[in-house]
Amino acid sequence: MAAIPKGSTVVLVGTRKGLYVFHSRDRKRWRSAGRFFDGLPVHHALYVPDERTAYAAVNSTHWGATVQRSRTLTKWVRGKEGPAYAKATGWSVAKVWNVRASPAEPGVLYAGVEPAGLFRSEDDGDSWELIDALTKHPTRPKWSPGNGGLCLHTILPDPKNPKRMIVGISAVGVFATEDGGGTWRTLNRGMRAEWFPKEKPEIGYCPHKLARDGEDPSVVYQQHHGGVFRWDDRADRWVDISRGLPSKFGFALAAGADGGSAYVVPLRGDFDRTTLGEMAVYRTRSAGRSWQRLTAGLPKPAHLTILREGLGADGQDPLGVYVATEQGQVFFTRDGGDRWDLVAENLPPAMSVTASPFP
Amino acid sequence: MDVVLPAALREYARGAGTVQGKGRTLAAVLADLDARFPGLRQRVLEDTGTVRQYVNVFLNGDHVEEPDPARVRVKDGDTVHILPSVAGG
Repeated sequence: MAAIPKGSTVVLVGTRKGLYVFHSRDRKRWRSAGRFFDGLPVHHALYVPDERTAYAAVNSTHWGATVQRSRTLTKWVRGKEGPAYAKATGWSVAKVWNVRASPAEPGVLYAGVEPAGLFRSEDDGDSWELIDALTKHPTRPKWSPGNGGLCLHTILPDPKNPKRMIVGISAVGVFATEDGGGTWRTLNRGMRAEWFPKEKPEIGYCPHKLARDGEDPSVVYQQHHGGVFRWDDRADRWVDISRGLPSKFGFALAAGADGGSAYVVPLRGDFDRTTLGEMAVYRTRSAGRSWQRLTAGLPKPAHLTILREGLGADGQDPLGVYVATEQGQVFFTRDGGDRWDLVAENLPPAMSVTASPFP
Repeated sequence: MDVVLPAALREYARGAGTVQGKGRTLAAVLADLDARFPGLRQRVLEDTGTVRQYVNVFLNGDHVEEPDPARVRVKDGDTVHILPSVAGG
């Protein structure tokens, strides 16, 4: 298999039937670097330029969850042990939902799993240690799965402070640590949970995806089951920024490289979960104060589903944004969203897309 | 004893389809194999120590119904098959 040229942009698409890797020098013409993990669900995969390594969450229904890595993106190596709970917990890792390197901790890798838990590796994914203060949180007995499972799906290390991290757990809520995982507090103030009669439960919220602002890491965007929200440390609460969107419901969210920039794909909520008649991405450049509807080059009519990892940005200038659908398309823009085109179509149902430079 | 591996797990044993295992229980045999082929046990057993839901173990051709491998006695000369269950309909 031909090597991916240095200086390319790479796009990793995790599907229910394997991982697909694409690359391009100009972000106009895309080439396939191959399909990997044939037939296996890949919930998340990403290339980490600082580590010169890619990681993939490969989840076999039969054989369990593994994290695999690659320097070249064309040859993958399985970690010696996948994340695993201690026998005494009575839990067993069913899936790895999210893998994340920590910019402030070179060589450190985190994995979010189902049932919800956070694991840390210091040896490139060969062994994993549970961050057990999270799973020993006093609210843990009340955690219960939503339709997507009891999954820890988002890991947001602070890019400058290794002691600070935010995680999102489906049907439970958002948690934060400021002491490297030793203690955790819920971070749900300002959220809504219309499915509970109690107005302000401590947990039971349903974050679908979170991302830090591209410039100010204290600002976090959240696509929640019931709206899009922005967290600001100074305000110490979530603020509903859904106004201007055609639906509060959606799964995916990505932040742009510029401050105040984020992307979502509203879906008809919350039992339909398809695009509202046509494929439209919504962009804010004002931290959610207003939204622009982006449709140029996107299909119409279209009833597509974009899952929680289905939006990715490549961090380049101008920004490349990528959308992967459960119907097997991968759309991209290389101008921040003004014009869209296809990277690929007719793939298996896509669960994740990430993109980054391949230096 | 012989332990026959499915195609999906042969990469753990450097491509071998059959490996030799030692132990008086299935759990001990898997621990023995894991010492030589790291990660193999985790593919067969849940974190709780029971056989994975969609994995079947056969001992001398008979399906092992007991989910706890520590309670499955084995002896020299036995043959253990590890197979994925059929997923379909």
